[in-house]
Amino acid sequence: MFLCLGVSLMAFVLTHVVPGDVAVANLGDRASSDPVAVRLYREHFGLDKPLPVQYAVYLGRLVHGDLGESEQSRRAVRTDLAEYIPATAELAITSMVLACLLGITLGVIAAVRRNRLSDQVLRVVSLGGMSTPQFWLALVALYVFFYRLSWVPGSGRLDAAVQPPPRLTGLFSVDALAAGQLDVLVNSVQHLVLPACVLAAFNMGLFTRFTRSAVLEVLENDYVRTARAKGLPELTVVFRHVLRAASPPILTVVGLAFGNVMTGTVLVENIFSWPGIGQYSYRSATALDLPAIVGVMLFVAIVYILVNMVVDILYGVIDPRVRLA
Amino acid sequence: MTSLLSVRDLRVWLDTARGPLSIVDGVSFDIAAGQVFGLAGESGSGKTITTLALLGLLPAGARTGGSAMLDGRDLLAARGARMRRIRGREVAMVFQDPMSSLHPMLTIERQLTEHLRHQLGMGRREAHGRAVELLTEVRIPDPEAALRGYPHQFSGGMRQRIQIAIGLACEPRLLVADEPTTALDVTVQAGILRLLHRLCREKDLAVILITHDLGVLSALADTVTVMYAGRVVESGPTAQVMGRARHPYTRGLIDSLPHPEAADRALVPIAGDPAGPESRPPGCAFHPRCRFSEPPCRTAVPPLVRIDDGREMACPVDPLVASLAP
Amino acid sequence: MVGFVLAASWLVIALLAPWISPYDPLAQGAGLYQSPSTGHILGTDELGRDVLSRLLWGARISIPLAMLLVGLAFTIGGTLGGLAGYLGGWVDELVMRGADFVFAVPTILLAMAVVAALGPGLLHAVLAVVLVSWPGHARVVRGLVRTTMQSEYVAVGRLLGSPTHRALAVDVLPNVAGPVIVLAALETGNAILLLSALSFLGLGARPPAAEWGSMVSTGAQHFEAWWIGVFPGLAIVTVVLAFNFLGDSLRDAFDPKAIIKARGA
Repeated sequence: MFLCLGVSLMAFVLTHVVPGDVAVANLGDRASSDPVAVRLYREHFGLDKPLPVQYAVYLGRLVHGDLGESEQSRRAVRTDLAEYIPATAELAITSMVLACLLGITLGVIAAVRRNRLSDQVLRVVSLGGMSTPQFWLALVALYVFFYRLSWVPGSGRLDAAVQPPPRLTGLFSVDALAAGQLDVLVNSVQHLVLPACVLAAFNMGLFTRFTRSAVLEVLENDYVRTARAKGLPELTVVFRHVLRAASPPILTVVGLAFGNVMTGTVLVENIFSWPGIGQYSYRSATALDLPAIVGVMLFVAIVYILVNMVVDILYGVIDPRVRLA
Repeated sequence: MTSLLSVRDLRVWLDTARGPLSIVDGVSFDIAAGQVFGLAGESGSGKTITTLALLGLLPAGARTGGSAMLDGRDLLAARGARMRRIRGREVAMVFQDPMSSLHPMLTIERQLTEHLRHQLGMGRREAHGRAVELLTEVRIPDPEAALRGYPHQFSGGMRQRIQIAIGLACEPRLLVADEPTTALDVTVQAGILRLLHRLCREKDLAVILITHDLGVLSALADTVTVMYAGRVVESGPTAQVMGRARHPYTRGLIDSLPHPEAADRALVPIAGDPAGPESRPPGCAFHPRCRFSEPPCRTAVPPLVRIDDGREMACPVDPLVASLAP
Repeated sequence: MVGFVLAASWLVIALLAPWISPYDPLAQGAGLYQSPSTGHILGTDELGRDVLSRLLWGARISIPLAMLLVGLAFTIGGTLGGLAGYLGGWVDELVMRGADFVFAVPTILLAMAVVAALGPGLLHAVLAVVLVSWPGHARVVRGLVRTTMQSEYVAVGRLLGSPTHRALAVDVLPNVAGPVIVLAALETGNAILLLSALSFLGLGARPPAAEWGSMVSTGAQHFEAWWIGVFPGLAIVTVVLAFNFLGDSLRDAFDPKAIIKARGA
């Protein structure tokens, strides 16, 4: 709650107490040289009223779920968000799943093989993932796999000739599967693979580092020796006993990493022409489209809160001691 | 007395940049079924490392030499799957701290049955039944409820009983109990020790009881081996070693115990600190702390010599040993 | 160790760029789109500028700016975090709520909004990144100050009658220094990433400047001349990797647990 208020206020202040002129930014050069057009524009969006009034009006509508009208698309921000969120969700979730699977597995391997060659290699790989600018990685990936090898399509969510599947979740791959349209499913997955992998690189590195240190800490515990003394296979010891105990800190990082994904989507979506929140927020920010910016920020803040709630619930599921407290 | 486990010249060392660092040096002993074998000594004397070596649970980098024969199989040579079949099924271990030796996030049932299912191939039902049986055997009230619980819901003594149940699950023939009562209150200690003693007699189980508390051993152990700085200094039947200790170190350990019948007698601690693996003096490792040490103690490692009352000891100063030496 | 050498060599490059660059980074003398050759080791760009020279000069933009930025962010975040940890109460509450808020919004979104509001430009981008990165420093410093103040030796000092500000200077600061240096190294890497991302989006450095992010952006429009974008990106990777390695090794060095382990206890 506090967070949402903060986000709206912050965005509001940012876009108003600054030199940029909203009307000029949105009307373009010719229209903004026409004083009548500028005045009409200001009246249409209530920009002629004093700032606190504008904020109060805005907040009042916000409470009713009305995010206002985007100054760029001339549509309700809610409509815009509803259109773009599924695209981003599809990309973000895929990349998170990839990053978790790979990062956690590699982290466990690095910890178990501590200070051996494979650990050193994984250290370079994971730090490399965290050190590579996503926009550059996206371009290199595009250059290699699209421009040179033509293995994957270069941009968008589907080929232009392919009709989107009937809308159910808005995630094209899921919808196509539900509708039994295999060709659409294949096409959408082809489009999804490259941006999702690029987006996963940073978090994969992050998860590898964190899993490694969490697992190393757990490995020193007496109960790991107890598990080994029972004659359990090493894989069972590591994945059932050690990883279980190491999972709370890993979970925390995974929760925080959703923020990284949002940052990544801004860059990756722009490069892959992926029609999602990232592109939308970039367009809105550069156009000083206040309602759209605030809409995106609110949405992201809500996701952040939800993710943290899920993380808290999972803590309880994983660790019985948390359940009591 | 036929021995179940026969350890000969067990050595454990770490390969370091400055050459091998000896941790356990030439330990030998025999254990018979249905007997409690006491392993005593201050911390750092190599008791725990000796038993971890038997189970192949030494920290990475540690190397072993010698042999430890269990039914004609050398435990020290067993690796991988063969070692895992021995762990739990032939040799089980109960660790010192019941707080940290149970997994905090897994149910008791899971921790009590996973090796039953893996090692003995039991089904879920069968393993559950066996788990109830085991908890009853170690005197846990309401086993069904206990199985659904987590370690933090139990007291230290209860947790130690659960650990023992886990150790007994696959009916091993040898149970290693590493300081099983050190972390517990005195009254709880007695219960755990009685339990171990009973299991040992009823199941014909061999028990290695590691402790620094000689009082515990004199009540429970059939034979006692005293270690100092990775070597055996004295061993033999409990009555001999405890009743008439000869080695200065064993005597020092006994003198530092409180005596119930002579409460006014001052406790006599052993002067100085135990020698760690890095700082072991040459000759008899105990000589810097020994009141009786003589020049030969500083140069030659005294051999373990059998004395006619059934004990073995390593002290050149002892008149009896001196007379037996070649 | 690797990190230190890499980071140090980039610092040297940044210092020596004017002397070691083969060409003027802005001179448009050579042919356009020349692929890497002995004359132009990393080729030339769409205006015929030498990519290597631009890349070397780029070090003079990204690295000092990132350091300045981390210094600023640390000054602000460290002061706020230190005060929050030391004073507690409503100051703590206020600072931490603020930090929570910045954490909840993805850094680039906030930075984009700030830059968009102030207008594009390298300095504005720096300000934006400072604004989104102070909470990291604040949290770390606050946590360290609090744990140190609750530790026994500070309590003992207080019992012995030494005033609290003395405890802060004598006990707290030395304990805070190690982790803060680690954080600074890691944050420098992140700052370079974020700054170049803003430039890539056209919100940071303006076109003629030889900034790595905007060079990659130019490369994105000329796929057939891959060297225009690939090499500046590699420069970013190596610099950021250097600082990450540095931070990683420093963490191992400062971690007391690691030190005990290293001694073989």
